[in-house]
Amino acid sequence: MAIPITPPEFDPALIARYDVAGPRYTSYPTAPHFKAEFDEAALRAVIRASNEEPIPRPLSVYVHVPFCMSPCFYCGCNRVITRDVTQADRYLERLYREIELIAPLFDRDRPVRQLHFGGGTPNFLDTAHMGELLESLARHFSFSHAADREYGIEIDPRFADAAYIRAMGELGFNRISVGIQDFDPVVQKAVNRIQSFEQTREVIDAARASGFRSASVDLIYGLPFQSVDGFSRTLDQVVALNPDRVAVYGYAHLPEMFKAQRQIDAADLPDAATRLALFGRALEHLSAAGYVYIGMDHFAKASDELVLAQRAGTLQRNFQGYSTHGDCDIVGLGVSAIGRIGDSYSQNARDLIGYYAALDAGRLPLMRGLQLDEDDLIRRELINELMCHGSVDKQAFGARHRLLFDEYFARERQRLLPLVEDGLATENPREIRVTSRGRLLLRIIAMCFDAYLDDAAQAPRYSRVI
Amino acid sequence: MQSKPMAGRLPEPPSPIADDGDETRFCGTCAFSSACIAAGYDKPELAELQCLVEHVGPFRAGEHIFRTGDPFRAIFAVRAGTVKTRMVDKDGREQVLGFYLPGEVIGLNAIYPEHFPCDAVALDTTYFCRFSFPAMSALASRIPAVQQHLFRMLSKELGTASLLAGDHSADERVAAFLMDLASRYAVRGFSATRFHLSMSRGDIANYLRLAAETVSRVLSRFRSQQLIEIEGRELELLNPKKLREIGQALLPE
Repeated sequence: MAIPITPPEFDPALIARYDVAGPRYTSYPTAPHFKAEFDEAALRAVIRASNEEPIPRPLSVYVHVPFCMSPCFYCGCNRVITRDVTQADRYLERLYREIELIAPLFDRDRPVRQLHFGGGTPNFLDTAHMGELLESLARHFSFSHAADREYGIEIDPRFADAAYIRAMGELGFNRISVGIQDFDPVVQKAVNRIQSFEQTREVIDAARASGFRSASVDLIYGLPFQSVDGFSRTLDQVVALNPDRVAVYGYAHLPEMFKAQRQIDAADLPDAATRLALFGRALEHLSAAGYVYIGMDHFAKASDELVLAQRAGTLQRNFQGYSTHGDCDIVGLGVSAIGRIGDSYSQNARDLIGYYAALDAGRLPLMRGLQLDEDDLIRRELINELMCHGSVDKQAFGARHRLLFDEYFARERQRLLPLVEDGLATENPREIRVTSRGRLLLRIIAMCFDAYLDDAAQAPRYSRVI
Repeated sequence: MQSKPMAGRLPEPPSPIADDGDETRFCGTCAFSSACIAAGYDKPELAELQCLVEHVGPFRAGEHIFRTGDPFRAIFAVRAGTVKTRMVDKDGREQVLGFYLPGEVIGLNAIYPEHFPCDAVALDTTYFCRFSFPAMSALASRIPAVQQHLFRMLSKELGTASLLAGDHSADERVAAFLMDLASRYAVRGFSATRFHLSMSRGDIANYLRLAAETVSRVLSRFRSQQLIEIEGRELELLNPKKLREIGQALLPE
């Protein structure tokens, strides 16, 4: 069954009205609800059970490299700023220990279909270190040799050249993700990230020449001094780079949570109207250039696997946004990394001290996690459907989970009602469907079905929806 | 803490749980009910004969119902859950002997040696009816139908073991295994095309004398051939006819 992709409708007044904080639902329940009670024994038990399924799921391995050479002021990621490359040795020593501890828990006939290096800055690690790390991973896990394996790496072009990218291709990476944010020099200066178009192009061209199958780039709107004109020029340059995917994230100014952001003066940030206009321009510009809006922050070329998966109804949310490999168990390696195994989530220690201490003591560096209960699983699937495919067939959903949809979600449907009245979604006895007006407000629609959001204390932890 | 709403939940589907009996009536799937009732013995009459049927459990996944060498005093009919029987050799290697579904009886192979020759381990939360064996054999001597029923169960138990003998391909073994489960569920009135595989793939592999990855590989192939659909442990047989053909050599007529 082909699912039509509804193009989003950009209505600034409507979006401004719904400009509240909300989770991105890269997981459900979201990470703040993970609990320390989910301990190493619990994690080992879920891994064991995952091996014993009739057809164990393939693996998706995420590796977090937390180091960055210099701080980008907008960043809300878990990272450590250093130029001391010996830090890499200390980190890798622990990462190898983690790999040695966790990899043997997975049966060897479970191929690593997806590998993703994120950060921080993965290319903080030089070619030799990378080679060593890949070798360790390949020795302890069973790397897939299938043509459709997706081995991706995030690259900061300021610290990578063509030779480095070629080396990454030789190590087996076939997807590259490049941070741009904005090419406007005024903005770049304000966020402490000076990166030329040429540097960026060198990296992307090198990736193509080295056989990488896919290149994606990240942009951010809502940065200090950003203007619609300046952002338009950035978008022109981005289109010229011809990436397969483009992510356009909204900057969330939360200086009380992220220290680096205290370098940004709130007075320099674009106002709400400009913020919206920036996203509106991105939407317009990328659509005109042939990109399809997937949802949330993500665009992809019409021929991209994400678009095909969305049409086929097999798209999934994951920690990187959207994924075509939702059937994998995710193993998170490195400081702060999150895994998703069976019906559980688990997160590693979020600082190096805790991460090192656990591994030095011979323990898995697990900090917290969650075993999803039946209600969590039901809502996770529902939110996934809404965010990936924009509709839920109530009958089929109810039959799958043994529930009367309208009764089970009576309260949630009440919450949805004003959204329906505003034209963000439609509801009838058969289905709930996100309208073109609602496409840009998926989080708001998904939030109606989040059982944990009654807890008002959680609200400030999330960024605004647009 | 969020409240977890339960309104709008539909009742559990007719799952393989035999728990509809009481003081005077047998459970619907009881291994002995038809034999006893046919002979005119209902539960109260059995009670008069001191043949008390005792409900035991729950046993949690991994718990032993009995262990190798335990003195044989009773047989157990599974009311709910799944059980595996197994032997462990002197090197600690496990050999899975069989799986038992609701309505089936474990412990029959202990009748002669009077000690259990194997372990019985719960694979999920299981409940049993415990039939004291001295009382049961006294009953069998009074009610020929019960004796016949016991003999029938015994010979079936022997027959099951031979399902796995011989030189058969992995495809044949796995197909026969699935069709055997299907027919056993069907006999008890449960769905023969959709069921939950409570046993781990390691146990299935051990039982079929295959490697775990072989079991998964065969299941993956059956799935891509659209013979089965499988999601986690939920299995649906899409083409039982074809599966029966594949497993034919190992299946009874």
